[in-house]
Amino acid sequence: MSGKRTNPSQTARFAQERLFLRFTLRQRWEHAILLLSGLVLLLTGLPQKYREFSLSQDLLSTPDRVNLIRQIHHIAAIILALEVVYHIVRIIVLLVRRKLPGDLLPTWQDVRDAGQMLRYLLFLRKDKPKFGRYNFEQKVTYWFVFFSIAIMGISGFIIWFPVQFTQFLPGGVVPASKLAHSTESMVLAIFIIIWHVYHVHIERMNLSMFTGRVSEDEMREFHAKEYDRLVAGETSSSAQTGEEK
Amino acid sequence: MTTRYLRQQKFWLIVAGAFVLLFSLSFVSPVTAHPPAQETEKYCLSCHGDKTLSMTLPSGEVLSLYVAQDDINHSAHSSVGIECEACHNNISEYPHPAIKYQNKRELSLAYYQTCEKCHSTNYEKSKDSMHAKSAEAGNLNAPVCTDCHGAHDVQSPNQPRSLISETCAKCHAEIVETYKQSVHGAALMKDENTDVPVCTTCHGVHNIQDPRTNQFRVAEPELCAGCHADPKLMGKYGLSADVYSIYKRSWHGVDVSVYKAKWPTIWHDSAVCADCHGVHDIRSTDDAASKVNPANLLSTCQKCHPSAGPNWTGAWTGHNQISLERTPFLYYVEQFYSSFAPFVLWACIIYVILQIIRATVDRVRRNVQ
Repeated sequence: MSGKRTNPSQTARFAQERLFLRFTLRQRWEHAILLLSGLVLLLTGLPQKYREFSLSQDLLSTPDRVNLIRQIHHIAAIILALEVVYHIVRIIVLLVRRKLPGDLLPTWQDVRDAGQMLRYLLFLRKDKPKFGRYNFEQKVTYWFVFFSIAIMGISGFIIWFPVQFTQFLPGGVVPASKLAHSTESMVLAIFIIIWHVYHVHIERMNLSMFTGRVSEDEMREFHAKEYDRLVAGETSSSAQTGEEK
Repeated sequence: MTTRYLRQQKFWLIVAGAFVLLFSLSFVSPVTAHPPAQETEKYCLSCHGDKTLSMTLPSGEVLSLYVAQDDINHSAHSSVGIECEACHNNISEYPHPAIKYQNKRELSLAYYQTCEKCHSTNYEKSKDSMHAKSAEAGNLNAPVCTDCHGAHDVQSPNQPRSLISETCAKCHAEIVETYKQSVHGAALMKDENTDVPVCTTCHGVHNIQDPRTNQFRVAEPELCAGCHADPKLMGKYGLSADVYSIYKRSWHGVDVSVYKAKWPTIWHDSAVCADCHGVHDIRSTDDAASKVNPANLLSTCQKCHPSAGPNWTGAWTGHNQISLERTPFLYYVEQFYSSFAPFVLWACIIYVILQIIRATVDRVRRNVQ
């Protein structure tokens, strides 16, 4: 959600193709940590959830292996938790400095966009709606992952330290957390695999989260409003090094 | 003419008589036709029926040689014609060969081996038992066939059913006493209940295994499930037959099933039935003395979770299906995900399929133009 944007013209590599900075290095690192820790959590969580599967049993071939895989899961959980803390602290810092861009906040425009997109997909409309910096699909992705991590994080720590948590919480939260942790993980995995992977790898190969940049064509096609805004800003003040909003 | 008529009549009389005789034979069963030869029994008891008959063994023990007619009459063997010499096969004449045993126990240990002649299956099984291992280790008092079944008075071992427990009590008196106080034992002692387990139900009959091993522990839930997962049997007593299937999905149960499948010989910490409910002292949950009575549950949990606080027992779903009354948190989480999970799945699938269709159509249209 943080975002300093350097002058797009400075990032251009080729005269014929301008590149726009989409994600800062800081954001790309955050995504990389999220991706890696999440993957480790999924891969070490699955054999624990589906222990009766023969593949899980091959992996968990000795009691020591079970402990090892739990430890890896816990270490990855701590790394992800630290990343979440960093992310939230960063939001607060930007908020205090009044530099937090609001691009990711859901608006009524997103609901209208979603309606128009649905009409387009059902052949009731000729063109895709024009999107801003983050379209409603990307906002859904961010907030879905955000709340999933909140659920999994809280429930995960409860089932990691059940005795400590039940000192002040009712005991019923422990089996409830176990069910929530286990089910939410599958819901999130399904969401990422179908929704996110389709949008960034199949619909188009969008590696901006790793390179940080998108081409002018992509800006025009997928973030037309943002493109118009940037180009309009350039013409009005040609030397803008724009802090966002 | 008359003589010829008379001779003919005589002939038919003989034929009819022979026929009646043959026909009557078919009413007589072979058993009554050949009553058991009890001669040796009578013959032996002519001396061994004397109550004062005894001898002193080299150990100084006095061995009574008296055999009560009453014991013989009630034994399972005598009634089917199995006589003294079937077991005392080293004695075939009088005077008998000299007794070479030093003491009474030595004599018992020598004689029980003749059981194998007829009961070879159970005899072989018992050789694999905890008792046989104890004997191998040098315990002369480890039970042999006759210690449980008796010798001259050998009878059906489960008539009445409580006799089984009484038999074990000869050595394991304290455990049987505890068992009699349990919900199972009390029902057995009250009216010879045929549904409750007796010692042999759980421990086996002839090949009784050591119940203290890790293998026994890890297989123990299945042992209880033998009855407690049977809806018909549990319905009779108003008990839930879901306890085992719910346990198997629990934290404890999953762990135990993995250990059972993969590492049955390795100790595991996850609770099996007996860890919470007790072993020989299992009581009804409503019983104030039950380890799992709500009043005692926390201290039972604390055996493994020592720092657990009073809220902890709420974490236990108590072998019950998820319900609003008993497990409200679990109930709401399940309610939420039972609609949320399929909604996310189908929303993602439908949206992405619509996008794929639209994108393909657009591409084809572009190519056509």
